[in-house]
Amino acid sequence: MPETSPELTELTSRIALYNSEHAYEKLYKFLYPGLHRFCFCLLKSKESAEEAANDVLIGIWRNREKLTAINNIRVYAFVMARNLCLNLLNKSGKQVFVSLDDINVDIALKTKNPEELLINEELKLKLDQATSALPTRCKLVFKLIKEDGLSYKEAAAILNISVKTVDAHLVAAVKKLTTILQLEFNLID
Amino acid sequence: MDRSRIIELLARKLAGEANSSELEELASLISRYPDSVYYEELLGQLWEESPAENDLDMDTIYQKHLRKYAADFDADLLLPGTYPDEEPSTKKSYNAFATIAICLVALSSLLYLTKRTVAKTDTQIVAGKGVRKNVKLPDGTMVWLNSDSKLSYSNKISQQKKRIVHLQGEAFFDVAHRDHQPFIVKTDRMCVKVLGTAFNVKDYALESSSEATLLRGSIELSVNERAQQKILLNPSEKFALVEGRSKKNGKAPRSADMTMTIAHVLPITIGDEQYIEETSWKDNTLVFKNETLEELKPRLERWFNVKIHIESSQAGSYRFTGAFKKEEIREAMTALQLIKPFTFKLKEHDLIIY
Repeated sequence: MPETSPELTELTSRIALYNSEHAYEKLYKFLYPGLHRFCFCLLKSKESAEEAANDVLIGIWRNREKLTAINNIRVYAFVMARNLCLNLLNKSGKQVFVSLDDINVDIALKTKNPEELLINEELKLKLDQATSALPTRCKLVFKLIKEDGLSYKEAAAILNISVKTVDAHLVAAVKKLTTILQLEFNLID
Repeated sequence: MDRSRIIELLARKLAGEANSSELEELASLISRYPDSVYYEELLGQLWEESPAENDLDMDTIYQKHLRKYAADFDADLLLPGTYPDEEPSTKKSYNAFATIAICLVALSSLLYLTKRTVAKTDTQIVAGKGVRKNVKLPDGTMVWLNSDSKLSYSNKISQQKKRIVHLQGEAFFDVAHRDHQPFIVKTDRMCVKVLGTAFNVKDYALESSSEATLLRGSIELSVNERAQQKILLNPSEKFALVEGRSKKNGKAPRSADMTMTIAHVLPITIGDEQYIEETSWKDNTLVFKNETLEELKPRLERWFNVKIHIESSQAGSYRFTGAFKKEEIREAMTALQLIKPFTFKLKEHDLIIY
């Protein structure tokens, strides 16, 4: 992970106590990619996700005086993003009530340099198909832990589930991937 | 069964959540089933792939963010011309462009600064302590400038899209109506926008409260710290902004320490005459109602151009109601002495109350 949590705490306290715009810039640049990705997989629109991520971050800046009361700014930001996205989806009126379970999330595995890796485009497609059948929260757990490097505890707080459930979801997602890998590479059971 | 356990442990290891005994167990399972090394390798590869975040140009995104919410940030940090349109789009050519970008930034900020100072110093009207001035602006607007106040505006004010004046202190404006040229008064703490109307603005740097009082027409007002919040005033209403904390180290206090109130302005009857406290100064009358000497002090100091030292706290808490017209400081003080007992000494520009 690019930044450990003592550094994040330091950033937030500089924002809260000294109105430091420089610290805010650092926090912004650190949190934005993950928030944008998270919002994108809920909202399915690049523009809406950008807006939502920006709204979450400016909300942090506007409430900066209260930041010292927050233990984990990342979890706080993700929870804000989750609520914001669900509100947006509810408002858009396509569904009467949207909960995380109603949203279709794509895991969408990406490879940087397919030629060097054992995993090619074709296999990737198979993996994507296999994981698409997983429950939404399971996919979100996988994304938050894999792509954002969050801990079980953090992912649990964001998705409002227990740590044990996070573990179960992650194991389920990884098992799904391995069944495909097993077939592909003729690995023994 | 074992395979399932291996995957479970691998998942935890990848998530960084496996404890030492689980790691040991995994190591021994892998040594027992050598093929499972493939799983570790493949899953490791899948895990390592970073999503497309490297494509994001965080500097551009952050600049955009700052512009979108410019009102929330210190405006001086955002100079026009530093925007990403002029910034390099690829990282490779960054160095080559950096110099150009820096030059652009420097040049544009220089232009911006000179433009700003020129705009500010085109015409400046200053009313010192003990002096009040009445001027007519090129667009026909009448301005009364109270003591210890400064008003500046551009010479081309009547040709500009927006008629902008900068005020330090207190002034009364009777704005000449022009449909497509709003008249804007900017102070350190507020911004008042009008089309045609008569109103009073007070924002002395040394006082914790800033005020705007409307006599007729309507004005739109915003506090600099919360620029997107617009406040509309109706005739005979007064807006007051009080900062709870005194300014520290010249840094603007946080917005939560401000109190904003809107109150009705009622005429005060003193003797046989009616006065509006907020605006009577422009008719050369200093009006005060039920104010302590301590509260009156800055107004008296400006009005009479004296420095007042209150050495008796009892005298400082006396409350007065009254109006001064042509009285000199000595006459005014003698009049106040008739209401409440106190003694004073006047020595050139120093008034000592004890």
